Amino acid sequence: MAEQKNSYYTQGLSVPETPAPGEEPAFWKQTHVVGKRLPRVDAYERVSGAAVYPSDITLPNMIYGAVLRCPHPHANVTKVDVSRAKKMPGVRAVITGQTPEAKKLKWKYNDYSGPLFDTHCRFEGEAVAAVAADTHFQAWDAVRAIDVAYEVLPFVADHNKALSDDAPDIHDSGNLVGTDEYERGDVARGFDAADVVLEQEYHTQSELHTPMELHGCVAGWDKDRLTLWESTQGVYAVQSEIAEILNLPLSKVRVIGHYMGGGFGSKLKPGKYTVLAALLARQSGRPVKLILTREETYLCTGNRPASTMHLKAGVKKDGTLTACDFTCTGPSGAYPAGGTALVDWQIRDLYACDNVRCASKDVYINAGPARPFRAPGHPQASWALEQMMDDLADKIGMDPVALRLKNIPEISQGRNQPYTTTGLKQCIEKGAEQFGWKKAVERAKAHNQTDTHIKRGVGMGACVWFVGGGGPPSTVIIKLFRDGSVNLNMGASDIGTGTKTVMAMVAAEELGVAPEVIQIEHADTETTQYATPSGGSKTVPTESPTVRNAAIAVKRQLLEMASEDLNVPASDLDYEGAQIISRNDKNKRIKVTDVSRLKKRGVVVGVGYRGPNPPKKSVNPFAAQFCELAVNTKTGEMQILRFLSANDSGRVLDRLTYDNQVFGGIVMGIGFGMTEFRQLDARQTGRLCNRNWHDYKLPTALDVPVDMESLPIEIDDPEANNTGTKGLGEPVTIPTAAAIANALFMATGIRFTRAPVNPIEMRRHLTAKKEG
Amino acid sequence: MLPDFSYIQPETVKEAVDALTDDAVVCAGGSDLLGCMREGIITPARVVSLEALDQLKGITKTPEGGLAIGAMTTIADIAKNPLVNSMYPGLAQGARQVASPQLRNQGTIGGNLCQKPRCWYYRGEFDCLRKGGKLCYARRGQHQFHAIFGHDNLCYITHPSDTAPPLVSLNARVLVKGPEKNRTIPVAQLHVAPSFNPRAETVLEPKEIITRVVLPPVSENLKSSYRKVRARRAWDFALAGVALALEMDGDTVLDARVVLSGAAPIPWRSSAVEKTIIGHQLNRQTIAAAAAAVTKNAEPLEKNTYKTYLFEGMIEEELARFTPRDQE
Ligand SMILES: Cc1cc2nc3c(=O)[nH]c(=O)nc-3n(C[C@H](O)[C@H](O)[C@H](O)COP(=O)(O)OP(=O)(O)OC[C@H]3O[C@@H](n4cnc5c(N)ncnc54)[C@H](O)[C@@H]3O)c2cc1C
Ligand code: SF4
Repeated sequence: MAEQKNSYYTQGLSVPETPAPGEEPAFWKQTHVVGKRLPRVDAYERVSGAAVYPSDITLPNMIYGAVLRCPHPHANVTKVDVSRAKKMPGVRAVITGQTPEAKKLKWKYNDYSGPLFDTHCRFEGEAVAAVAADTHFQAWDAVRAIDVAYEVLPFVADHNKALSDDAPDIHDSGNLVGTDEYERGDVARGFDAADVVLEQEYHTQSELHTPMELHGCVAGWDKDRLTLWESTQGVYAVQSEIAEILNLPLSKVRVIGHYMGGGFGSKLKPGKYTVLAALLARQSGRPVKLILTREETYLCTGNRPASTMHLKAGVKKDGTLTACDFTCTGPSGAYPAGGTALVDWQIRDLYACDNVRCASKDVYINAGPARPFRAPGHPQASWALEQMMDDLADKIGMDPVALRLKNIPEISQGRNQPYTTTGLKQCIEKGAEQFGWKKAVERAKAHNQTDTHIKRGVGMGACVWFVGGGGPPSTVIIKLFRDGSVNLNMGASDIGTGTKTVMAMVAAEELGVAPEVIQIEHADTETTQYATPSGGSKTVPTESPTVRNAAIAVKRQLLEMASEDLNVPASDLDYEGAQIISRNDKNKRIKVTDVSRLKKRGVVVGVGYRGPNPPKKSVNPFAAQFCELAVNTKTGEMQILRFLSANDSGRVLDRLTYDNQVFGGIVMGIGFGMTEFRQLDARQTGRLCNRNWHDYKLPTALDVPVDMESLPIEIDDPEANNTGTKGLGEPVTIPTAAAIANALFMATGIRFTRAPVNPIEMRRHLTAKKEG
Repeated sequence: MLPDFSYIQPETVKEAVDALTDDAVVCAGGSDLLGCMREGIITPARVVSLEALDQLKGITKTPEGGLAIGAMTTIADIAKNPLVNSMYPGLAQGARQVASPQLRNQGTIGGNLCQKPRCWYYRGEFDCLRKGGKLCYARRGQHQFHAIFGHDNLCYITHPSDTAPPLVSLNARVLVKGPEKNRTIPVAQLHVAPSFNPRAETVLEPKEIITRVVLPPVSENLKSSYRKVRARRAWDFALAGVALALEMDGDTVLDARVVLSGAAPIPWRSSAVEKTIIGHQLNRQTIAAAAAAVTKNAEPLEKNTYKTYLFEGMIEEELARFTPRDQE
């Protein structure tokens, strides 16, 4: 029986050679599991509803938290009277800035630190008080019963007005968060050398993350030990911030985040709500569930900051870029939060150009602070740069694809060091070929000559992602049980990208076991190993090499154990299918599950660590995207007909989850380019207008094309890490909007410099074009 | 968070009407009502559900040869009903373009006609004119989705319904039951202009309910349609829409009713367009004149002037669908 159930090597796969102790594993040449299309290991749980998300948690005696939030974009709290709220039925805890537990606590935004409850409220949605009660309803009734008085202050909601003289100061230091400057070469000389110089202003709107699962947590105390079930991208990140704020030893803060319903960067850290839940739980002596409403998440859990960009670029007739001069103003929101973070990276790094100058200004406005949003800064600059590239190509009579191919850099210019690999050229070249670029352009142009008001366009854009190489630290433990089944233990969160699945594939590949017998334990600071949060497209290149190292540690120990059974040194042994054999004497062999010490001990435990990245080299993913669309020039309606994304993200681990990222990235890019915008009532009250899913317009299934194609450009990258992987989740959404804008230009002859281009914007421009 | 309220589910229409006390509200599919209650826009003490009233569900032929649609018939049922599709394609098209599949399964025609506006100030925490306050926030604020006609410089909502414009164009009426009497109201007179009352959307008295929507018989020459342009391709209200009901003799328009959505606080009948096409051949010239006529008397705000051009383009495109091919 045990024999039949034996799950080790059931597939009879050959297993990669085990490196000697101290040696690095060799690059996988041929793989058997990795690269295939494997459905998610937790698909059943997710689809059936068995998966428990933090919002699903209910605990015995659990009560519910709710937060009173400032309804003004800028105000001083002059009075908070909770006496009535405290007496309401079911109320068990009320916290304000005057509550002793809360009074000393600090809340940080980057390098800014202020009181947890600041009486100076700088954005709509700032927390003023919190309550916990037996039911959700009682908690909200109590919130409404709190008597607050505000002194309403003048506000500024527009980042372009933040630094003007008549804008109110949001902080004593003024409204400038900071500036960032970069220069290489000599921009003036670069422009002198150009045959064509163009300049243009571009705008992108603020976008809201809108993950399916709301932000929040359940907090419970066991004497002096806090447990948090948090919807998060990184349990260890939550642990360290909460421990610091509440002044607890790390060991006393347990954070669990097995399943989570999306974050897109907005859940890389805990929220103020996490601290409030912990305080309410401590005061009430009950576990407290505090899940925000959609409106609250729209106000205070981050956004992609808007941008106002100016780009001037010069090109020679042969297509050589001679200079780029880029400026950007963007808002952090009410606190320092990276309002222009990484916004110039495309300009610095993507295309070869000797003379580049970038300057950005991050400013305060009275709105919720930004948080990283899938590829922070990148889609913004891509919107500017990729449209500029097309304009330059147009002016010198060159094909947009050809112009980009003319300017492929040999090294990372932004960091002045080589990339381990760059697939920029192949992404553009092979992507164009697969898309049928030339034919599509001809077809669209011919179509537009005919007498129809439905015009067609094709467009493209390319990108590099700032990081995507991952790196230390990471620790993974793999346990191999005596029947050959495997337990993989890692701290990383699976934020919906399929982390668990691809890590199971890596372990399966290295150990030769079926992925189905691998059980994954993850995202729990008490029972799983340290990991940095899942973000920056770094989870695969960080964790997969670590998983491989852990598997190798298991294999090495098994060889040691088998050497006792076979009486040969471990260095003479390696794997052949399900067996360990002597290299010198093929008769000496033993089935892995027969190894005596394994049988006796019951388990082998392998620990893997993430090794360093290659010194003085950049590990970056690249992409190029192509789209075709139609525009109704009477009504301004648009339809995207197809999209192709060619991605160099190194080795593909699971083709299914890979393609999912690509399609999801395109969908999100369509949202950025065509449907989504945060609307503040900037001219009157400064408050948020669109607080729900009707007014905040995510793209629907009908807004995205059925025809989406993912074209992986796999280039061996043994230097990057031992699985040859690079990040994917962010490059897939960087050039999408810009590719759309370029296609719209071909269709209409209009340059859409302001995102998003919805039918309103389209119709406005069609009229302006006709009249102008 | 929903406020406290009591809930009753009467079994006859009479019981329902009797149950409508001053602080009560009717609930059909609840798809709009619950949202309004969550936002604190409607705060009833009592919710009277029409769910159990089977006599208000379904579509039947009337003795005169038209159709009677029970107020509790879902939008989805209307969209797929063969009689509606063959006799009143405009209504079927309108129904199909309402909201999303889920909402069409839940929402009823009665509720669709009586739904509250979607102005984001109204739905948000703004004490605006329509909610009893002093100020219309849309006028000076963010009004890109708002009305260009019929706002009376008071309230700039656009009536959200996609079924009302085709119903108006098709001369439909609603049957209304009240505590004392029943009455019949043409759908064209159901909705209320801001100058009449900026706080009401319909002429219904608080204790009245719609029981049926009745459509008159159609002649063979009647062509109807509904076209809707929206900011995204599903699950969205009209930026601009038009319901057409044209009596055609060959390519000549004998009679026309043209009703716009996304245009005004009520379904907006465009007599300007009607005048330019009635008695004319529907050729390029007529269509161009009609398109130019549609925005006559429009009073756009700063951020919604695009709508005037959008209506022009849409009218042009939509009328062209009724011209025989060889005319082109
Ligand atoms: C996100 C979203 C998008 C939407 N998009 C669209 C769209 O694109 N186009 C569109 O047309 N609609 C749209 N709707 C509105 C939707 O169609 C309506 O909510 C629905 O038709 C209302 O029907 P119901 O039966 O659910 O009404 P309920 O929500 O039950 O009632 C709505 C209102 O009508 C009153 N009422 C209901 N029945 C009667 C009756 N028989 N007599 C008197 N009063 C009555 C109620 O008291 C209430 O005030 C959308 C709604 C949502 C939430
Ligand atoms: S348009 Fe009407 S509903 Fe909107 S803010 Fe003005 S008065 Fe209120």
